[in-house]
Amino acid sequence: MTAVTALTERMVLGAMRDDLPFAILAPAANFVVFNFALRNVIDTGRMSYPQYILPIIIVQAMLLGALTTVDRAARDQGSDFGVRLRTLPISAVVPLTARMLYCLFRGALALLAAIAVGYLFGFRMVGGFFYAAAFAVLVLTLTLALSLGADATGAGIAGAGIAGAEIGSSGAASQLLLVPQLLLVMLSTGMAPADAFPDWLHPFVRYQPVSQVTETMRGLATGHVVVSNVATSLAWCLGLLVVFGALAVRTQRRTQ
Amino acid sequence: MIELDGVAKTFDGTIHALQDVTFSVPTGSICALLGHNGAGKTTTIKILSTLLRPTSGRAIVAGYDVIRHPAQVRASIGTTGQLAALDWQLTGRENLVLFGRLRGMRRKPARLRADALIHQFDMSHAADRRVGTYSVGMRRRIDIAATLVVPPKVLFLDEPTTGLDPRSRRDLWELVSSLSAQGVTVLLTTQYLEEADVLSDSIVVINEGRVIASGTAEDLKRRVRFSYCTVSPANPADLGRIFDVVADLEGAQVDREANTVSVLASDGNGVATLSEVFRRVDQLGVELADISLRKPSLDEAFLQLTGSVTA
Repeated sequence: MTAVTALTERMVLGAMRDDLPFAILAPAANFVVFNFALRNVIDTGRMSYPQYILPIIIVQAMLLGALTTVDRAARDQGSDFGVRLRTLPISAVVPLTARMLYCLFRGALALLAAIAVGYLFGFRMVGGFFYAAAFAVLVLTLTLALSLGADATGAGIAGAGIAGAEIGSSGAASQLLLVPQLLLVMLSTGMAPADAFPDWLHPFVRYQPVSQVTETMRGLATGHVVVSNVATSLAWCLGLLVVFGALAVRTQRRTQ
Repeated sequence: MIELDGVAKTFDGTIHALQDVTFSVPTGSICALLGHNGAGKTTTIKILSTLLRPTSGRAIVAGYDVIRHPAQVRASIGTTGQLAALDWQLTGRENLVLFGRLRGMRRKPARLRADALIHQFDMSHAADRRVGTYSVGMRRRIDIAATLVVPPKVLFLDEPTTGLDPRSRRDLWELVSSLSAQGVTVLLTTQYLEEADVLSDSIVVINEGRVIASGTAEDLKRRVRFSYCTVSPANPADLGRIFDVVADLEGAQVDREANTVSVLASDGNGVATLSEVFRRVDQLGVELADISLRKPSLDEAFLQLTGSVTA
């Protein structure tokens, strides 16, 4: 336990001098920009635009955070520091656990910052404590799932680098992953209701995971959820958690 | 102590990085693993520090088998390489505390230990700056301090002095010697023969994945079965004339920079060769600064052992 705590503290300490302030403030800033740019353009019916858009801002922050986790894991795994960790009397999953705790910590701070700014502009959690807690748990589950996937990608790249493939390709990988995550965010009902998209895109826009999850989040914020939608969101989050978790643990195997 | 018995490592089934490597390092002694780049030095260290699994053979570190008891091996060893394996975003002090805690120390004792090491390594002026801002020598010092937070039984140093200035190198040698005096077993790799000669109790020469010689520095020099008879004239202008009269002797050569003419003396013929060279040069009537019979340097021994030079 000491080792996990020490490594998590190390990540927080390092990140505070690096990108942590940015990771916390970015979603809040995004929210302000989107709110001013789009609130009179997109028709969200009876729901106010800040109320509508905050969930997608939060999901996007978690997706972008995961991209930095790709680099972080690659750097940690491939560096001499990472190699030395493998000669220490600690379990092989300790560094991964510490990285994930850090991701959850960063996610929680970003979430709090986004909600705080949201409140200034009229976003409200009106469902009571239970719904608000469920909102946070859903976001953090998604964060953990995405972070595990990112970690597996980064560590996998570093592992391939050790085996002789091109080193330093994690930067390229995270750039490449920017495209699908941008498509998932832009072509979702998190930005605008499905009616705003052309007909042929409806099936994708409605059922893709980002749409489902943001819809659940909006429901949890207002205290009205549709069971089938909650089930779909949970299935996505837990499914990704299991698959990415298994992959991430697999890449941590120590000796060849 | 460290024991390797027939250790082999094959990559991808075809690249034989190590073949039948056998040697041992007694407790509290310093062994230098000597070899060219790619000879297998780092692979050996990686196997002993549980980063790689040997394809076959047995390796024991501090009494534990590296395959069967890797956790116990990790608890007994310290490793440091040529690149500082530290978190560059943290300060030197934070790194030391981190490594103490990773070895199971509580927060307070880890801090006190870090303070003591900072003092011991004379790093007080820089302890609270980020490692990223350090010079190579400072980084290396903190790196080594990090391996000593909890004193290891066995210490692996992979080319520890590469890139260090002469003074830092001396400091490091002193440190390694004092650790060994305290009972730490040290295995270091180096390309510097001087380092192996000065620092180590025993030397293992490794070439193309095989041990080609082992023993003390003296043993290795003795294994090279020849010596040199060298002549230095008082006046360097006489070098050519001296060379002319000994040119027909085995291995005769001039080294103008060192102002010497040297001749090879095969095993047992040292004195005979010396007197023959002296007789010829004496007839020439040039004034000599020095004439001597000398054993090959470890450098020359190493080059001969690895087959880079045939005498």
